[in-house]
Amino acid sequence: MQGAVFVSVAAVFVIDVVLMVSILTWKPIHRRRAASLQVRRDTYIAILSRYLAASPRGKHSVPAGPSHRLEPITERMAADQAFLDAIIDLRNIVTGPEVEVLGVIATRFGLVERQTKALQRRYPIGRRLRASVALAEMGDESSAQTLLTYLDDREPEIRIQCARGLGRMNYLAAIEPITARFDKEDPWVSARFADTLVGFGSDATAPLLAYVRANHASEDTDGVVQALTVLGTIGDHYSGPALTSILEDAQDIEVKLAAVHALGRIGVPLVLGSLLDVFDSEDWRLRAKTATALGDIGDQTVIPDLSNRLGDSNWWVRRNTAAALARIPGGTDALYEALDSNDKFARDAAAEALFDAGGVGKAIRHEALGTASQADLRLLGHMRDEALTA
Amino acid sequence: LVADDEETVTAILTIALETSGLEVEVAHSGPDAYERGRDGQFDIIVLDQLMPGMLGIEIIQKWRADGVDTPVIMVSGVDDDRVVIHSLELGVLDFVRKPFRITELTARILRSFQTPEDNRPALVPKTNQ
Repeated sequence: MQGAVFVSVAAVFVIDVVLMVSILTWKPIHRRRAASLQVRRDTYIAILSRYLAASPRGKHSVPAGPSHRLEPITERMAADQAFLDAIIDLRNIVTGPEVEVLGVIATRFGLVERQTKALQRRYPIGRRLRASVALAEMGDESSAQTLLTYLDDREPEIRIQCARGLGRMNYLAAIEPITARFDKEDPWVSARFADTLVGFGSDATAPLLAYVRANHASEDTDGVVQALTVLGTIGDHYSGPALTSILEDAQDIEVKLAAVHALGRIGVPLVLGSLLDVFDSEDWRLRAKTATALGDIGDQTVIPDLSNRLGDSNWWVRRNTAAALARIPGGTDALYEALDSNDKFARDAAAEALFDAGGVGKAIRHEALGTASQADLRLLGHMRDEALTA
Repeated sequence: LVADDEETVTAILTIALETSGLEVEVAHSGPDAYERGRDGQFDIIVLDQLMPGMLGIEIIQKWRADGVDTPVIMVSGVDDDRVVIHSLELGVLDFVRKPFRITELTARILRSFQTPEDNRPALVPKTNQ
């Protein structure tokens, strides 16, 4: 028995010692390797910078070979990870013809092909992921087909990088395939795809609308909601009429909410009629979302409609309505008027929005200076009454 | 003086400017840039807006308060019109957004050496020694 305990303790001790020695040995080696990588990267940045300075007219002026001013780039250099890092670092700093120069160098030394091959292998996953990041960062159009292919890779992060790379090169043919993946992806990947699509701007409007039209009646509407969110963020006025018809046709409440949100973000007064129709919906979520959308658009003609909703039966609708009024020019007058309403709900919602907008602080200062207006006094009176009641 | 916390930016600009015949010094933080520039020894300063320790705009304000009127070209990766307007109000020579074209930025820097009477670039910077 004692022998077994001794053997166990000895085994644990030996394992601990081996682990400790490994860590102590590995750390300086790793530090030295990182330092060496940094030195080589800086050297390559210097070499590549001279090429950029010597190529003022972009890809057509890249020196074909070594000259007296330029250090030659060798195959050995180009195969170094630090060289790829240097190209990517510079690619993020420069623009226009200088990006073309880096593209010519990357192509001349087969950097894109090398990363493409690494991505095409099944393993190791870490190497494949680095390759996808490198291709995304380089944004070279010659890798577009590969990135399109690997949009449905088994690794989510690789799919994200492929979409990002296609976005960086503004590869318009990628918009539909990326959009089509919305209903196949988990929320995290979908959100990253959405970021990429926003980067395409109004070029993505028509494919996104087509996707929403085709899928808004399907059972799983997560993808449609994501597409509508992207449309709202892009804010292309062209999508206004199409979105209003989707709002009218859609049965799913989440789709309707997303359409209302998108219409608010697009902010075209043309869509006000459709939004006001939804403002009478029996579903409080739609009324609340519409109030916010009307505030986003900021058109003064809806002030009476919003004022009428300050007495809504739902607290969230009242709150959003009052907040919307506070954002519309002239809307605060309606909020001050609502302080005299017989409806306590309306009075409270208006007072809260005015408080959030800094009205109470302003009124207190005015009162102290003796310059308080009727509106200031009305607001302070309401707040004091409420405090006494509480 | 090229002041930017991104070493890649200072490296690339140093090479481009040295190739054009200028002497270049670099700073990688706000306080370092401020200290180096406060004696007015530089012909021109390329200053990044977002640096650790002190923002580019703050540095210019302090230089101006110290009586240093060295021409400044502001560089920024942040697309904020307020920063552009504020910098121009402080009298910066130019505002360049990142990413930038090195050749274009170099040309703008060289242009600052031109005198109104002579359009040719006077590539003889003050010595820093």
